[in-house]
Amino acid sequence: MVSNDRIFGILMIVLAVAYGWGTTQFNEPFGGAEAVGPETFPRLLAVVLALSSLYMIVRPDPDNAWPWSRTGIELIVAVVVLILYAALLQPLGFIISTTLAVGTLCWRMGARPVKAYVTGAISGVAVYLLFSFALDLALPLGLLSFMEVG
Amino acid sequence: METLGFLMDGFGVALAPHNLMFALIGAFLGTLIGALPGLGPANGVAILIPLAFTLGLAPETAMIMLTSVYAGAMYGGRISSILLNIPGDEPAMMTCLDGYPMAQQGKASEALAISAVASFIGSLIATIGLILLAPLLADFALTFGPAEYFALFLLAFATLGGITGKNPMKTVVAAAIGLMIATVGIDNTGVQRYTFGTLELYEGVDFIIAIVGLFAISELLFFIEDKAGGGKEKMAVNKLTLKWADIRNILPSSLRGGVLGFIAGVLPGAGASLGSFIGYTLEKKVVGKKGYFGQGDPRGVAGPEAGNNGASSGALVPMLTLGVPGSGTTAVLLALLISLNITPGPLMFTQNADIVWGVIAALLIGNFLLLILNIPLVGIFVKLLSVPPMYLLPVVTMIAFVGIYSISNTTFDLYFMVAFGVAGYIFRKLEIPLVPIILGLLLGPEMEKNLRHAMDIADGDWTILWDSGLAIGLWVFAGMGLILPYIVGPILRRRMRVATGTGGPEGD
Repeated sequence: MVSNDRIFGILMIVLAVAYGWGTTQFNEPFGGAEAVGPETFPRLLAVVLALSSLYMIVRPDPDNAWPWSRTGIELIVAVVVLILYAALLQPLGFIISTTLAVGTLCWRMGARPVKAYVTGAISGVAVYLLFSFALDLALPLGLLSFMEVG
Repeated sequence: METLGFLMDGFGVALAPHNLMFALIGAFLGTLIGALPGLGPANGVAILIPLAFTLGLAPETAMIMLTSVYAGAMYGGRISSILLNIPGDEPAMMTCLDGYPMAQQGKASEALAISAVASFIGSLIATIGLILLAPLLADFALTFGPAEYFALFLLAFATLGGITGKNPMKTVVAAAIGLMIATVGIDNTGVQRYTFGTLELYEGVDFIIAIVGLFAISELLFFIEDKAGGGKEKMAVNKLTLKWADIRNILPSSLRGGVLGFIAGVLPGAGASLGSFIGYTLEKKVVGKKGYFGQGDPRGVAGPEAGNNGASSGALVPMLTLGVPGSGTTAVLLALLISLNITPGPLMFTQNADIVWGVIAALLIGNFLLLILNIPLVGIFVKLLSVPPMYLLPVVTMIAFVGIYSISNTTFDLYFMVAFGVAGYIFRKLEIPLVPIILGLLLGPEMEKNLRHAMDIADGDWTILWDSGLAIGLWVFAGMGLILPYIVGPILRRRMRVATGTGGPEGD
């Protein structure tokens, strides 16, 4: 199968066209147009990307297998964990969200659940202490803010 | 002897106690980063950049620390090659060939010690080469006009894949994507480009976020896919019984490897992998039938190790003098320079002489530190090597999160980083190299600026871009950088594969 490169090539050509069309939407720079305006360099790039993507479509490399099935789900789980980590960092606070995120990742990568979440908790507390005391940098405490000293 | 004076000043900077301390920390962390499989040098340096900011380090201290990390990572790569038969980074691949057999014969600690000495010699030679060559090249680079710079940037992209690169067209695709991302934001005439009215995009995409996402997050995803969480069986380390004669025995190999490596590192398109490969093949040729290469010959450890370390110091030459990195890790170091508001290139040698020479002196000092760290303390690194990736990678990911979060304290950056991570995973699956994307992000603004200057000077005449002999030369080399991989690439790659007996980790 050689469809990965082809599909990607087509997507990139679409991107190149959209990106190139975007250059027509720029406002005129203050002081009038010059030899090289804000649109010149992007237009060059659009042409280069379109041509090189065309090459990928014409002469694609053999595919690497995508991890469908279970591994694919694991990957999606990992990405979801990362997104939730980012989303919950401020509301839950650094220590709790880190325990959950690092713990879940360790667990999904094959560690036993207890060990995984203990690793998460220890690393979270250690990094929090390091940042607040050694580096003097405040990470959000979130739910644990009642413990805040001073 | 002007250079000597600068170098002395550099030592003054590098020997300041806090700089020395950060050099030591950097060397230690670097060795660790290099040793742990799945945490390559570019990745490791990238994760540490935000931390250098949050520490509020002075520019020269930050640069010294991360250069030490860089140097340390090259030392560390050999540890997992020898003990696990997995190269910690790509250039350490050749070290596996004789290093692992030595470990199998119960001579692991000799192999580690020999490779440390060889790394030391290689780096030392290359650092001296750097001291001699860099000022000359910087002077020469002062004659470059904008057109020459524009061509030079093209050359940098074209040779980035190296002549062993698989598909140069994918390098072009990657470079174009990187440059496109770099155009997002307000350009220097004040026009908004591709911001879609989003406030966060006005200042463009922060390349530190992109780098950490592309490297660190995609690495995590790859480990999950490979189910490599458990780690591999490692060799036992015996007590060290190294005689002086053993070291004398490998000296010539290390010297040859170091010189070759340096040359390979300076030249665009060669890089550390080729440096260690040439180092190994040359050793095999020179020693001839007297050697027992592939079965644990110490010279087969020394040659490529010296070559690999020589190349990594050599790669700093174009980065420091021209502002054009030739490898992933030097690209990340360039990212640090740019974010410290230092314009890399020939002017840096005059305007930021203390930083440049401080870094160079720190390289020399770092080498001695690393030798000391790596012979008696190798046991610590070996212990840390047995931390399975299933614990290590989530923690590293967390450190990446903290680092990025601490830059601006916004969640937006974190989402961005995860998005770059997913993109990086897809790119790597399609074998689209990540380094040109990063280089595009870094060099994009400079490239456009030089194009503008050149065209303004020539009043919109495109031929200015190839008007001088120098510019034409650069264009020709850039063209060769794209065409040669199609011609000699398959041959060289086949040889490397035959030599290592594996497909090896290609690209990255």
